[in-house]
Amino acid sequence: MRVATVGIVALVLALAAPAKAEDESPQFKTAEAKHFTTAEGVELSPTFVDYFYAELRSELTKAKIVAEVIGEGEAVDDADAPQSLVITGTITEYKKGSVAKAALIGFGAGMRSLRMDADVVRRSDKQNLCVLHVHVKVDPRWNEKVMAKTAANQMVKEMKKALKEGAKPSA
Amino acid sequence: MVQRGSLHLTTAILLVAGLAGLAGAAWSRASADEPKPKPENTISIQLGDPVPPQKFAHPPKFWIADVIDRSGNPQPMLVMKERGGVFLEKQPTAIVREALEQSLKAANLMAADAGSADLVLRVYLFHFGLAAGSGLDFFGKVEFSTIVKNPKTGESQEVKAAGTSIAKGAVRKKNLQKNVQEDIEEALHDATRNFLRGTQLKEAVAALWDQAVAVPAAAPAKEEASKPSAS
Repeated sequence: MRVATVGIVALVLALAAPAKAEDESPQFKTAEAKHFTTAEGVELSPTFVDYFYAELRSELTKAKIVAEVIGEGEAVDDADAPQSLVITGTITEYKKGSVAKAALIGFGAGMRSLRMDADVVRRSDKQNLCVLHVHVKVDPRWNEKVMAKTAANQMVKEMKKALKEGAKPSA
Repeated sequence: MVQRGSLHLTTAILLVAGLAGLAGAAWSRASADEPKPKPENTISIQLGDPVPPQKFAHPPKFWIADVIDRSGNPQPMLVMKERGGVFLEKQPTAIVREALEQSLKAANLMAADAGSADLVLRVYLFHFGLAAGSGLDFFGKVEFSTIVKNPKTGESQEVKAAGTSIAKGAVRKKNLQKNVQEDIEEALHDATRNFLRGTQLKEAVAALWDQAVAVPAAAPAKEEASKPSAS
């Protein structure tokens, strides 16, 4: 009985291991994230865009969507271009929120909010692979860099999901 | 009358003495908080593996003439002031120079001396170390701009490069120093790669060096064609 149980467990693990390995192999070779632009009227500190760029690259590396996350303006081999991504985007709206409203009213009132749009295109033919819309709300007492971290995390999650869905063959 | 005058004088002296005492206490406290470089709070930043540069049509020989600090930081070796401070072992300019030289030498793109160089690099360092982050992690940033100059023609072009890195925060001093070191090393590696593999350098080399190589090669052919035939 014990031997049979061990055998079944070993069989399940053996079958699960290649599936997991297959899931972890990156879908694309390289990804280049560009510095996001800010729409007119968005009042964020100049360092925000820089920090968001760094966070986005860090999250892309962690998510393992691509084998290598390259810097802005780096050259890619022509052979790798069809398997490479370029991410561009714009910060469309920023509301700094109100600490008083958040403290007195609560329930999401006075929250700091950030909206951004991003395009993920294939490097070789500039084909749009997905369009992302991210809306982040954080406590107004928090540092704006925390908002950048949250936004980068959410963006990469949505990108991973959209690229997975895009890779599936249509029924 | 005399008594009132002396009272005013005494009050003034006491006030001045009090203010001086307060200022002195504040100064001594500030100087006590000022971190000092010690072996235990000094980190050594190294590039690690050299960065392989991009392939050039006509590989030139580079020479780094100068690395100039333009960060405006009065203490460039102090990367973190909190928790007793974290200092760099060497000047950031020396670290960047070493990183570039190491990568260029490994790819056989480094000239033996300034005279034999095809392209001369002058690096202006704008940022080296940590930048303002979320407070939950460390944000490492290395940013520089390079003037690539052809010494023969005198023409030059600017090439910008930047590297960033995010490392997790730490509570223990030992881990904090380790994470800061890894973070800056990663940012340095990223900036070096951004420079050596960037399209800006490719375009600069194409404009300043490839054309210079192509002109002498085309010149003899032109001379041959212009010669009158013997027959």
